[in-house]
Amino acid sequence: MEKEKQVYQMLDQVYDPELDQPLTELGFIDHIVIEGSIVEVIFRLPTYWCSPNFAYIMAEDIHKYVSSLNWVEEVKVNLIDHCASNEINQGVTKGKAFSESLTAFSGSDGDLDELRKTFQIKAFYARQEKMIKHLLYQLDMTKEKIVSILHSDLISLNLSKEGQLIRTKYFEKKNLFNHSSPLAFTTPEGESLTIESFSDYLLGAKRTRLSMEFNGHYCRGLLEARYKLPSIKEQESTINN
Amino acid sequence: MYKLPNGEEIFIIDAHIALWDGSKENQLNIHGDQFISCFYDYHTNLSPDEYIWPKEKFLKYDPETLVKDVFIKGYSDIAIFQPVYLKEFYKNGFGDFDANEELAKKYKNRFICNGTFDPRHGERGLEQLEENKEKYNWQGVKLYTADWYGDSKGYKLSDPWAKRYLEKCLELGIKNIHVHKGPTITPLNRDAFDVADIDDAASTFPDLNFIVEHVGLPRLEDFCWIATQEKNVYGGLAVAMPFIHSRPRYFAEIISELLYWIGEDRILFGSDYAIWEPGWLIEKFIEMELPDDIQKETGANLDLNVKKKILGENVAALYNIDIEAHKKLLKDCSLANHFA
Repeated sequence: MEKEKQVYQMLDQVYDPELDQPLTELGFIDHIVIEGSIVEVIFRLPTYWCSPNFAYIMAEDIHKYVSSLNWVEEVKVNLIDHCASNEINQGVTKGKAFSESLTAFSGSDGDLDELRKTFQIKAFYARQEKMIKHLLYQLDMTKEKIVSILHSDLISLNLSKEGQLIRTKYFEKKNLFNHSSPLAFTTPEGESLTIESFSDYLLGAKRTRLSMEFNGHYCRGLLEARYKLPSIKEQESTINN
Repeated sequence: MYKLPNGEEIFIIDAHIALWDGSKENQLNIHGDQFISCFYDYHTNLSPDEYIWPKEKFLKYDPETLVKDVFIKGYSDIAIFQPVYLKEFYKNGFGDFDANEELAKKYKNRFICNGTFDPRHGERGLEQLEENKEKYNWQGVKLYTADWYGDSKGYKLSDPWAKRYLEKCLELGIKNIHVHKGPTITPLNRDAFDVADIDDAASTFPDLNFIVEHVGLPRLEDFCWIATQEKNVYGGLAVAMPFIHSRPRYFAEIISELLYWIGEDRILFGSDYAIWEPGWLIEKFIEMELPDDIQKETGANLDLNVKKKILGENVAALYNIDIEAHKKLLKDCSLANHFA
């Protein structure tokens, strides 16, 4: 089924912003229904209460990516088993802003751009920390070298399979920021790191990574419990490196 | 009381328990069903298999089950009730002050019964808070900022009405403000688990203690930042705790971060019973050692003295409990023969 494959390829690009993982990997896509040029994407979340703002971002992105297929004329997004299912499904299908659709969720902002940005930054820190730790502990690279290594040198560095994966993931995020600095490691704003502040910076990035991993463990676990899915055990490697 | 092989006794206060009613009879709507089902998913996902309850029991358990699980099987000397309203989901609410009181009367010196309030109840709620203080002598409250009320799906501690309620707490001597800042469960704002309102409240009310339940996870970085600045901010381990079983290394990372940032005097044990039974959490916590690399990275120390602080001494300080004097009081407790 060629069309179905295409839709799933699009869905691979939709991320849970909080977890920094694709919906397809997280098990959030329940199923899809294709009728001619109309695609319905049925998706689910780990709890009935998952934050509507994040749910809205995912629903919007599903709509956006699937709509970009040239044969698709209509996309119906259907979030099931959620406290704001109706509001989200109708809002996204009609192209409304989050604030219009979910007026009851107090303090919700007009658009979700700032939230998206906040979580892009968090994902950047988390992936960067993994990359730096890998260089520190697997390659015995010095702090001095890490704060000065060029983007181009990091790309050509000989890494293990695991290291390559970490690098790909890091650059995927880093490239979104369009940094002008030639350095491989900068702050999300593109500022250089210094030897003096390196340890504090890394600790800060680690806390961000721990928060994201907490979400990842929790959300996956709750989804497994809710929909009776097979369990995925702690992957030491994802934490260890 | 947890007894070490060498006979040494560790005094334990479980700072976060509940006696809830999530039964079908009490559910007001689908939200009530979904709320308790979500708790049950937490329970089944993170408990060791041998501690998983049937759903029916989880919906509503009797008070004697709680006493057995928390004190007899669960090693605790004292436990603190942290009730929440959830009146939009449950006919009689999720927690019940009177049911808690009744149990506390039956088992003297075993319970601290905290209360709650909702600043969206306005003037009426302020009066109610005074009446409740009079009636129940609350020393603390549990605030559930993501609770629904009419059209509102949540509030913040920095809201003007919340400030009036906190002023009232100060005036009435309700010093310990436990705030749920946990995972998932409905947003207040763009960043659903934002802990920034704690920062604001903690600097406005330096004489109140703010215990951030679930240590702000999944916003550990924000929580650590705030708790480092504000000395009256504490971290409650409820919800983070069960990772000790399913994700031990991850738990070690979390606890070492907390020790590094906020220190050993401001971390409090809580089981979040009945989502998790305290017994296995405490056993595993006493057994655990930080892996060398994690210890080296943060310099964190989790020796027995630190564990004792986390398991009881830190909460005792917040609630003015003299542990040695309290041990004597508990000798006359009807549960004492279970430990002889």
